[in-house]
Amino acid sequence: MSGGKDGAPEKPRPKSASPESDSPFDIWLKRGLHQLFDDVANEPIPEELLRLIEEDRDDRTS
Amino acid sequence: MSSFHDQVIQILPKLRVQALSLTRNRSAAEDLVQDAVCNALAAQDSFIPGTNFSAWMHRILRNRFISDLRKRRDTTDIEDVPASSFASNATHEDSLALKDLSLALSRLPSDQREALVMVVVQGMSYEALAEATGCAVGTAKSRVFRARRQLEAWMTGELPANDKLRVKVAALRSMLDDRRRKGIKTDDLYSL
Repeated sequence: MSGGKDGAPEKPRPKSASPESDSPFDIWLKRGLHQLFDDVANEPIPEELLRLIEEDRDDRTS
Repeated sequence: MSSFHDQVIQILPKLRVQALSLTRNRSAAEDLVQDAVCNALAAQDSFIPGTNFSAWMHRILRNRFISDLRKRRDTTDIEDVPASSFASNATHEDSLALKDLSLALSRLPSDQREALVMVVVQGMSYEALAEATGCAVGTAKSRVFRARRQLEAWMTGELPANDKLRVKVAALRSMLDDRRRKGIKTDDLYSL
């Protein structure tokens, strides 16, 4: 029923309802987007921003 | 359970990705994150502990972006922001395909770009995306679908190579798709 034996092509799987897709374009797109956006997520948080948050925390607890 | 301030610090990397997807510019993204954090700190008493902090924080950043955009619209054209701002370093810029993707991304409407990045890069579900962007789940799905379809059309060369022309063609196709979905005859383009 599902095919795939003896070199017969697999039947195309129904499109997943999840956000992830495994088409060649989607795999390429995912890789490209990670290359463009991962660095910014992994950069150190600016000291100024952390200080702002910690100062507010101190103000609230004092 | 983490304190409010710990949760703010933990979500900063994700806010930066969302901000970059919206602004398309690293410097503007940093400013947007800082402004959103200031807004969140000022509004922290309105956050109900135990509710979805991530969605609350993403909505604050998104609202701040929209608010800033409205203020700037009279004096600046945000569409003029260079597309290369996405590219993070020289190694990446060496990749022609990545440059093309960066350019194509910059041409997408900001809500579609944001939706695509939050789902594909951050791994958000459509439900979480809908809550984080204050829209219906169907709208969230549609934004991601349209962004993917548009990028695929541009990147696989189904549209004319001339950049301005392909943007126009894509806009026309998008309008035709909308009209088909609404059941309006496509040969009636000038009746809008």
